[in-house]
Amino acid sequence: MRTNERVPVLAGTSMFLAVVLSAAVSMGQETRPAKPEEKKEAGMTTTLDNLVTAYNGESNAHARYVEFAKKADEDGYGQVASLFRAAARAEEIHAETHGEVIKKLGGTPKADLRKPEVKSTRENLEAALKGETYERDTMYPDFLRQAKAEKNRDAVRTFNFALSAETEHAKLYKEALDNLDSWKGGKKDFYVCPVCGYTVVKVDFEKCPVCSAPKDKYEKIN
Amino acid sequence: MLGSALLPPPLPPWDGIHPLIVHFPIALLLVSPLFVLLGFLPKVGRGFALAGLVLMVLGTIGAYVAVESGEAGAELVTRTPEVAPVLQQHRELADTVRVLFTVLTAVWAVLLFGPALLKNKKLPAAAPTVAKIAFLVAYLLCAIVLANVGHLGGRLVHQYGVQAWFDGK
Repeated sequence: MRTNERVPVLAGTSMFLAVVLSAAVSMGQETRPAKPEEKKEAGMTTTLDNLVTAYNGESNAHARYVEFAKKADEDGYGQVASLFRAAARAEEIHAETHGEVIKKLGGTPKADLRKPEVKSTRENLEAALKGETYERDTMYPDFLRQAKAEKNRDAVRTFNFALSAETEHAKLYKEALDNLDSWKGGKKDFYVCPVCGYTVVKVDFEKCPVCSAPKDKYEKIN
Repeated sequence: MLGSALLPPPLPPWDGIHPLIVHFPIALLLVSPLFVLLGFLPKVGRGFALAGLVLMVLGTIGAYVAVESGEAGAELVTRTPEVAPVLQQHRELADTVRVLFTVLTAVWAVLLFGPALLKNKKLPAAAPTVAKIAFLVAYLLCAIVLANVGHLGGRLVHQYGVQAWFDGK
């Protein structure tokens, strides 16, 4: 083939490539939400900030519930103590899963652990219920909205795990508060998913309703 | 634009692939009883019956992929009080469905190839036909369960706005 015969072929090929490339470029030029680093520069909260906040909250909740459990045992509320221990384990799992995502995003999981304020078992339950209710109704829904807007699936996953567990914790604390006298005495069995921290009194399912972990992975805590 | 139409679409990650997969097993498993029925035709029936088996095998494999990808995708779904029970029912029923269709596929394979393997044993002449009719009835009942799984999935998407994630990090 002579050089001048190749010209139409080359022109056709380059035109095809130009069409493909321009399509690819135009796809990348769609309007996009601000990136996390741009939000940071603008003084806005990012999902990484939210993860650090949640990590700190979960770590403190873990420490607080461990102390609340000791107090409940002292007060003779063995079943409440078991509930606090189960919730403490769940919060520990949430801190771990949040921490993993923080590391993945280039941050460092660090908690500012404060000395828990321990009062009577009733007051401790009220404080715990207040904390879980805030996390369920305000904190995690807000964090989830932001993580979804930033399309951060790891953050959405870990916030979903925490939200589902905190919802159950709030129910259990409410139940204990409403029937505190019947929560006296010996220990009570609770089951905590080691993957997502979901907490139940009875494992009446084959797979974890939140993360699909097999039911035999659930940890019994009392 | 033709240029972009010639580019393959981006493949979503595993936890976002459920909507792309899930319609295949539903369609395959709902169409295969038609082939089972056509399998009763004299002379040409055997080919249809075999085609039915192929559809069942593909549909059942698809059901396993759909359930597993659905489980991964479910982790990204926020459990509101309205969504949680429907999602849980959808998941449990989907698990049941894949077991049911695994059994049905195995039974249909036995009904197709079993008589040839048992040719030295004497069976009543009507036995294969009766067994196939019983199979079809059982299959149709399981198809109703499958339709309900699909309906629950449809409710999650269209009633509650649950969506899979095709993009993001």
